[in-house]
Amino acid sequence: MQDIHLPGTTSTPSIQTDWQSGRVSLCGDSYPEDAFEFFEPLLNWINGYVAISESPLILELSLLYINTSSIRMLMDLFDDMESAHRAGKKVSLIWYYDAENERVAELAEEFREDCTFPFVVLKRQS
Amino acid sequence: MHPQNLLLLRNLFEQHYILLAFNGLFSASLIEEIGLALRKHLEALSATPTEVTDVFTIYIELTQNIRHYSKKKGLSDERASGTITISREQNRYIINAGNVVEMADGEELFRRIHELARLDKLELKALWKNQMRQPRAPGASTGAGLGLIDMARKASQPLVASFNRLDENWGFFSLQVIL
Repeated sequence: MQDIHLPGTTSTPSIQTDWQSGRVSLCGDSYPEDAFEFFEPLLNWINGYVAISESPLILELSLLYINTSSIRMLMDLFDDMESAHRAGKKVSLIWYYDAENERVAELAEEFREDCTFPFVVLKRQS
Repeated sequence: MHPQNLLLLRNLFEQHYILLAFNGLFSASLIEEIGLALRKHLEALSATPTEVTDVFTIYIELTQNIRHYSKKKGLSDERASGTITISREQNRYIINAGNVVEMADGEELFRRIHELARLDKLELKALWKNQMRQPRAPGASTGAGLGLIDMARKASQPLVASFNRLDENWGFFSLQVIL
């Protein structure tokens, strides 16, 4: 499957995927008007990866502003990772947030409550 | 507008401590540009990073709601235009946003705001988690009702809505979020 190398814009995060290493990273703000359209290719990639690759999947998020429709898509993404985890695949998530910005940490923690795969929320000193 | 009215407008701005106001047609790029200016403006006013995040997030939800509504209804430019003010009064940020909606939609939204205003933070969290689990409507691009709950959760006081009838079919709906 083709990797995604999408540069960030004012309202959308950059997306990088690497099939070889199993690393996926999202970085920046996420408030597109149509979050479904924006996130769909990433969800397809991740579902393809966990279905085909034997290697672990590591998702790294460095997101700042996130609108509710992006939050809804993140939940779908985490649900897919949860299903993969329950099916015995190795998946994990690291969510970085700025030390000064507690909102991202709160959001990440709420998501973590509903996930059983390795899910780390890490403070990044700014 | 007569130049003298500018003073009246200025007085109104100062009386309500308005930091930023916009009235007109929101395009996707205009929402972004005003949003970036808002962030810079708040930072210059020494808002904390969390305050900047909250004000910005609510600004985005409200303006995108107005855009989604006018697109869904295929409204004329005149009806699709929105109004937003952001003010800071007694250490609190107050965001007001309004637009023209069909009477039935306005009444329904008014009821929902009232229901949300009755809930405490724990009930809002439960509702949020429940709403997240609702299947997404086919083709829906929005947060599927998450936006209002999110704003109610971030607000320090219950959301306040106002709905003014304009004519038989249309009214002006406005929502206030106090952080």
